[in-house]
Amino acid sequence: MKNDTLHLAGVYTKTVMKSWFQYKVDAVLRSLAVFLREATGIIVIYFTLLKFDTLNGWNIYEMLFLFSLLFVTYGILIIFFTGLRDFGGTVRSGNFDRFILRPRGLLFQLIFCNADWFAAIGHGGLGIVLFVISAGKVGVVWNAATIVYYLLAIVGGVLIQGAIFLFLATLNIYLLETNSLKELFYWNMRKFAGYPISIFHKSIQVIMIYVVPFAFVNYFPAQYLLRKSDMAQYPDIFMYLTPLVGGGMYLLAYAFWRFSIRYYKSSGN
Amino acid sequence: MLTPYLAFAKKSFLNRSAYRFNHFMGILNTILRIFIFWGIYKALYGDRSEVDGITMTMVTTNFILSICLEAVFCVNDFYLPDRINSGSIANELLLPISFPGRMLADNLGNAVFKLIYHFVPALIVSVLIMGIQAPAGIPMLLLFILSALLGYGVLWTISFAVQMCSFWLINVWSIVTIKNVFVNVLSGSMIPLWFMPDWMSGVLELLPFSSIYFTPVQIYLGQLSYGEIAVKCAIQVVWIGVIYLIGTLLWEKGKRKLVVQGG
Repeated sequence: MKNDTLHLAGVYTKTVMKSWFQYKVDAVLRSLAVFLREATGIIVIYFTLLKFDTLNGWNIYEMLFLFSLLFVTYGILIIFFTGLRDFGGTVRSGNFDRFILRPRGLLFQLIFCNADWFAAIGHGGLGIVLFVISAGKVGVVWNAATIVYYLLAIVGGVLIQGAIFLFLATLNIYLLETNSLKELFYWNMRKFAGYPISIFHKSIQVIMIYVVPFAFVNYFPAQYLLRKSDMAQYPDIFMYLTPLVGGGMYLLAYAFWRFSIRYYKSSGN
Repeated sequence: MLTPYLAFAKKSFLNRSAYRFNHFMGILNTILRIFIFWGIYKALYGDRSEVDGITMTMVTTNFILSICLEAVFCVNDFYLPDRINSGSIANELLLPISFPGRMLADNLGNAVFKLIYHFVPALIVSVLIMGIQAPAGIPMLLLFILSALLGYGVLWTISFAVQMCSFWLINVWSIVTIKNVFVNVLSGSMIPLWFMPDWMSGVLELLPFSSIYFTPVQIYLGQLSYGEIAVKCAIQVVWIGVIYLIGTLLWEKGKRKLVVQGG
């Protein structure tokens, strides 16, 4: 049974990849476009810091490192959570009914039935490029402990964003249309996440730490490794919480999903 | 003569008013964008009152004006591609009106809507939160408006020319996205162009992007003399002419080879 599940996941992934890369030139161009679109903010901060040197004590390499965490986690996230990101459309078109009829877990199908490979390559590729450029220049000693910490932070960061996607996807069961909420709570907050949150107004910081905790995706993990002086205004414990926040949020979102799925009503034809 | 175009513009104006919540989100988005850049530059400036003769208020003004204008200048990059993909272009070509003219009418109707219901509220909220520098006199304010209109022309013709690629490519999303990256980075709405490194200034002068938002902002702030304003606006007009010509050539060529699948 276990093997069978893995096999099925493999088959799904292969099919999805085939469908995304059907038109090869287009696929390359699309990945490049996503890469460049996401790099916009980085090009901007690069030019800005040529002039200003540091942003609240963060130099260009430290900024790139901060950005890289955001992109690497999104690149991994989107391989698994595209189905949840686009769940609203699946519900509205009635396609979700087909998933329910199949003898496999719903979440399993949603996760493996689609993966936005252009976003994965665009974001993930950019994240890796930024990491390679910055990792050697930010004064981090890469030993077993920091590498394990880094990997755990990545997993935590993926889970935090995955939990937000899962939570918003679940809301579709009740509301049918949640794109605007996603825009408000995910994409808008993510715009702040590329920068050290300490530069923003207190209210933004509170949202980034306690409501949509992007601060735990990149700011606090980066702080653990870089120890910039603006960390002084937050409790030290925040630097260690990312995996816990990720795991906790994901479990909560999963419980909400399990609870809500019983109330699913089809949108009709 | 203009009546059908006005009707199209009015239709697109009314279309916009249908999505209230999305519209509200759009305004919030604009304000947040300005707020983020403002936060970044406040941190960058720290205690300094000016950098290279540019005060923080001027930076704030640059962001508020160019990002609010950006909301008005939202050109539908997929107007033609959508019609080619769905095949409805065939019917549009039968209408006794110019298709590019219709495209412009549709975009302008949208722009007027955005000016009233997006630009104005976003501007007011931003100014209340962050403050803004007053325009350098009434003549400069009027010239700012003129130059902003020309800036819209530059942005529109760029989009017009890029959309023509859809005659030859199945999917223009990538090209449109890459075009928008250039517009975003080089037009001054994300980096005030005063702070670009020197070698970039040369590049910027060879490209049309800085005349979209940055020229109007410079005029508003009173940084240009009347002579310089005349030159900058002439440059805007030349760009509009050149890019429109390229777009029209592609349009004439593309129209001839257009093949619509199905029916």
